[in-house]
Amino acid sequence: MLLGIDVGGTFTDAVVIQDGKVLASAKTPTMHGELLHSIIAVIDKVLGSINRAAIRRVALSTTIVTNALIEGKIDQVALLLLPGPGLNLTGMTPGQPHFLSGCVDHRGREQAAPVKKEVIAFCRELSGTQVAAVVGKFAVRNPAQEQQVAGWVQEYLKPAHITSGAELSGSLNYFRRINSAYYNAAVWRIFTNFAAAIETAIGERGIAAPVYILKADGGTLPLAAAKARPVETIFTGPAASVLGIMALANPEEPAVSLDIGGTSTDIALWQNGVPLLAPGGASVNGYPTAVRSFWLCSVGIGGDSYVRRQDAHLLVGPMRRGPAMASGGTEPTVTDALRVAGLIDYGDETLARQAMVSIADPNQTPEDAAWETLRVATNTICQAIRTMLSEQAARPVYRVEDIVHGEAFTPELVIGVGGAAMGLAPLVAEQLSLPWQVPSGHMVANAIGAASARPTTEITLRADSAEGYYTVPELGIQRTVDKRRFSLADAWTAAETHLAQRAAAGGIDEALPVSERVYEEEFNVIRGFNTIGKIMTCKLQIKPGVLMPVQAGRQDNEQ
Amino acid sequence: MNNKALGLVFFPAFDWAITPSHPEREERLLYTRDQIVEEGLLDLPNIREYRPQLAKIQDVQRVHIGVPNIASLITDAHLVSAGGAITAAEAVMRREVSNAFALVRPPGHHAMRVVHGTRGFCTINMEAIMVEYLRCHYGLNRIAIVDTDVHHGDGTQDIFYHDPDTLFISFHQDGRTLYPGTGAITELGSPSALCSTINIPLPPGTTDDGLHYVLDKLVLPMLDDFQPDIIINSAGQDNHYSDPLANMAITAQGYARLAEKLNADIAVLEGGYSIEDALPYVNTGIILAMAGLDYSRVVEPDIARCPRQSESNTRYIAQLVTQWQDIWSQRDQLRRAAIAKAGDFWQRSRSIYYDDSGIQERQREAVRICPHCQGYHTIATEAEGRSFGVKTAFAAVIPRNSCSTCRSQACDAIHTAKKEGRYDHYLLQDKEQDTFEQF
Repeated sequence: MLLGIDVGGTFTDAVVIQDGKVLASAKTPTMHGELLHSIIAVIDKVLGSINRAAIRRVALSTTIVTNALIEGKIDQVALLLLPGPGLNLTGMTPGQPHFLSGCVDHRGREQAAPVKKEVIAFCRELSGTQVAAVVGKFAVRNPAQEQQVAGWVQEYLKPAHITSGAELSGSLNYFRRINSAYYNAAVWRIFTNFAAAIETAIGERGIAAPVYILKADGGTLPLAAAKARPVETIFTGPAASVLGIMALANPEEPAVSLDIGGTSTDIALWQNGVPLLAPGGASVNGYPTAVRSFWLCSVGIGGDSYVRRQDAHLLVGPMRRGPAMASGGTEPTVTDALRVAGLIDYGDETLARQAMVSIADPNQTPEDAAWETLRVATNTICQAIRTMLSEQAARPVYRVEDIVHGEAFTPELVIGVGGAAMGLAPLVAEQLSLPWQVPSGHMVANAIGAASARPTTEITLRADSAEGYYTVPELGIQRTVDKRRFSLADAWTAAETHLAQRAAAGGIDEALPVSERVYEEEFNVIRGFNTIGKIMTCKLQIKPGVLMPVQAGRQDNEQ
Repeated sequence: MNNKALGLVFFPAFDWAITPSHPEREERLLYTRDQIVEEGLLDLPNIREYRPQLAKIQDVQRVHIGVPNIASLITDAHLVSAGGAITAAEAVMRREVSNAFALVRPPGHHAMRVVHGTRGFCTINMEAIMVEYLRCHYGLNRIAIVDTDVHHGDGTQDIFYHDPDTLFISFHQDGRTLYPGTGAITELGSPSALCSTINIPLPPGTTDDGLHYVLDKLVLPMLDDFQPDIIINSAGQDNHYSDPLANMAITAQGYARLAEKLNADIAVLEGGYSIEDALPYVNTGIILAMAGLDYSRVVEPDIARCPRQSESNTRYIAQLVTQWQDIWSQRDQLRRAAIAKAGDFWQRSRSIYYDDSGIQERQREAVRICPHCQGYHTIATEAEGRSFGVKTAFAAVIPRNSCSTCRSQACDAIHTAKKEGRYDHYLLQDKEQDTFEQF
């Protein structure tokens, strides 16, 4: 039995899944500032009489980190940077950066050594700071300087936690790694406290199963392992829904998914059964980071979107003024329009009609007003989808082959989940001339996603056989190789070994069989007219996915 | 510094090489990619990355006369590179960005109007294709091209040699010491376009000081006088002190400051073969400068290797600048005198070597000195190459805004030559009607 919990902005959802079927589900209002209470309340509600000992896995998607960032409840970070030559980062990073001498170049060769005296001086200046981040340019090519400086910081500042940039991401992009590392350190304490409280609370409820936490890329991480990289648990709400879609619908063809909630619709594009990832990573507080995340576009249209007429124009959203009039609210909403148009069958129809009358033109029937509302809402969503498709088509590529023979992404299916999906998703599909699907269980897709999400992890192996070594930044290691013999095949073999190590260390080796190669690059290194080695990059991941497809039952505790 | 919106077309063509160990090979921009991606430049809010479009054969034939046809001489990579330059230019013309940098390969500034093969790593001329595209689609007329590659931009010079509306300025390592050997101060353009070709041959060992002296005293004032609609930078990076194919001493700072002062609307990458020690830093510097960002921290790790400028070079450069200032101040008289001296036609014969293709070409050109337009011109070309023996062609070019006399004489010239039958191919490039015909 799997227990999945999703803490959302408005509701906290939970499901129990057994043998690919939803056994029970529950919903409680989210109490902000009391996330732990919301979680405990929904667990108690969903479990009811279910045997707690039969639960073998608990997975949680939580807004703890997102909220801490929004509310500014984050710690001051000692941010130490080894920037080398390049962009002047003054004023560009969150927090106050402290620049150190010492740098490695694009091939990972040390060009200047870090200076211990500088680090000691900064440690004195920053004395009392509880968390630190050390980030070096090109540390993904050679993490030694980052490690050396982190050692000195440990010795002289003695913080509770140090984040090293290259361990968070093995990809090039110093700017993103700085921002990732900064926020990782900044939320470390609040996350660690939360994790401890959750472990205690779950234990007290007689559940002995391991606890996993959802990440922005839709993968799970054991709670213990997540303590080192809490920044990856941002934006898990939308990720949970996306995973839910994977469990419920499992689209094989290129698709567009819509998670239509109360105030917004999250749009994702799907290829080969997985959603596309945000290029480079997620944005946090307006700063681009290296946190792997689904590429989601959020538009301000949902079931509770406020509908009104302004200067003869009908406007829908993005704000919410409470629930639909059909459900006892005071202002007209999209849900009222859906009710009057006959696309949904819940809520009070008389109240919904009153809502539509209040926004109708003098010469419009309530039905006309409802359909106009839905047209405006549908247009907004379709426009966002078109923008995403043209952004995807405009993505730069770096090979002639990809320009000349690259294929454009063309969706063949619309999938809807969330409260207003049954009403709106078919209208969006109609406008895009595509078939649609709203899987049953879509109302709790988020919790289903959390429950069934598989662990993910990735590693990057970059070998420079001319220099005679390879680096795996996520593991902080550098190994020597045979300059003459080391081949791309050897690089892949080594990458697989290291991925297995990383998975075992994180307690997720169960997911190893689903690893896949995501990126490969091989270039010659030439001196004069002779090839003296090769530069190879191999990226291997355990891809986002679900433990099993899920069929939603009809059993809902909340109703 | 003020942030400026910069459009960046980055196209390293990771699957294209002339040959695997040729300087123009797959990994030429690998380390540059590493540096600009690691810097996070593509995530900066005022830098927008564009995917290059594919140029059309028609775009290429607006500039080039390929023998027997241009399509058979190029690869898809050339069309992507030319398309990248066009994409950069259109981003500027549509005001989506305030300036743009096409960081693309293969390069093009050694490709001349007539093309038999590849010379100086170039087959078609990206900047020229972009310029004629802008004239055709955006109605631009006066255009300045500043070629900052270490090698003389002989291809671009050739294409615009008879065009008084294109100011072509090339500074380069003196042709007596470096490929392609041309680019002397005396190459000024044909009579009707005299002094719209400017060559500034610099001595080996010229540093940032010398370069910026030339820029401040000569290049920038010339641009002020010419008043172009747009400025294009052929941004070769092989003046760098670490370049393996040349002998200059310019740094990343020198290049970035150049980009800042020149304030080009569009820059297009040309050469630069110090792929590990120079290109990552020079490109980062140019991108930051064009985006109005602080580039002062872009300093090569091995900057201590960069030599200082000799006293004799400083003196030589000062004299060269004075000499050019004299010529420039008399440019109108010089042009009138050259036109008067030429009579009805100005003619020249040249030998052109295609080092990458092993082709020797002999070319005879005649330009009509016309009081009403740029004057049509004809080119008789004969090329000899190991792979194909001998190929000959006769071509006529009708310029933009041509007069009716030049137009009919150009057509007559082609028909007469065809009747005489001494060539394999007869080609008419009509820039007025934007057509290209084989007879």
